[in-house]
Amino acid sequence: MILDTYFDNVGKRPLLTREEEVELAKAIENGDARARSKMIESNLRLAISIAKNFRDKGCSFEDLIQESNLGLIRAVDRFDWRKGFKFSTYAVWWIRQAVQSHVAGQSGAIKMPTSARGIMYKAQKFKEEYIEEFGCEPSFEEVATSVGIPADTLRSIYKSGSYAVSLDRPLSSDESGGRTFAEVVGGVDDTDPGEEIDKALIRKLLVGALKKLTPREENIIRLRFGISEDVTDTKNFPLTQTMKKNITQRSK
Amino acid sequence: MSMPKGFKAKNGYATVGERGGLGYREIAELMTEGGFEMKHSAARNYFLQGMRKLAGPLVDLYGLSKEEVDRIALDPRFQESVADVIEEGIEL
Repeated sequence: MILDTYFDNVGKRPLLTREEEVELAKAIENGDARARSKMIESNLRLAISIAKNFRDKGCSFEDLIQESNLGLIRAVDRFDWRKGFKFSTYAVWWIRQAVQSHVAGQSGAIKMPTSARGIMYKAQKFKEEYIEEFGCEPSFEEVATSVGIPADTLRSIYKSGSYAVSLDRPLSSDESGGRTFAEVVGGVDDTDPGEEIDKALIRKLLVGALKKLTPREENIIRLRFGISEDVTDTKNFPLTQTMKKNITQRSK
Repeated sequence: MSMPKGFKAKNGYATVGERGGLGYREIAELMTEGGFEMKHSAARNYFLQGMRKLAGPLVDLYGLSKEEVDRIALDPRFQESVADVIEEGIEL
């Protein structure tokens, strides 16, 4: 709800033209606070759009927007209009950097040291290059060798790098009381409903078809699979001479 | 001259031994004792004939060609599934 109001307000602000950007940047250089505010407010949409890309990283959307806005403010303060670039081209890097560093620092049950994050980044890059060159994923050992650490260490880094999500967290960011993760995440033993329906249908067909077997076919299939409702039913499921001999020998 | 290589099922063979099932020779022996004289090859033919009857409706269900009946009937995974269904207590 609060976010919706925020989005509405941000959406109302007109985008700046290139000339306006330069004018504002010049004014900011001269210490004009109102120009600075206008520059920031006019680019809040850009900050939101970048923050949206990090929504599935385990941080709240409000926090991401906040960090994104901080990145935007930093970009406004450092923008050099003389270089001739559009403000958005310059700002996007600062905003992304701010959000990324927030995500890396906040997400995950275990806070990862910078060196471990660097290793993960290197490993990811190696994986992408490997797939591009060979068309398949490298083995875990190959990735570990490429970043120069033992496979066990890399495994631990990956494990601690995965972020935790509360099962009570709502799936939707709105406050309408939608479903939580616990309601949709399947258990280890859960089966695919589609597969279950297929199985039930196949079973039904098989049961129907089983009734069409002749007694001889039925008998032979049962004997082949060793299936009998009653193990003492030697009339329908008699013992062979060999089996009889074996039983007699065992009883002696 | 090289000898014929014989037939090898693509997906192996159903493991009837683990279920306490019998070989075709034993089945033929039992059926002969019961008054249906047959050889092991006939026992196998009856078994596969039954399997084909069971595979038929599946072929129709999935819109496969009729040639697929044989492939499914011979598939040990299908045979195991049939055994499971019967074992679950369904009266034939």
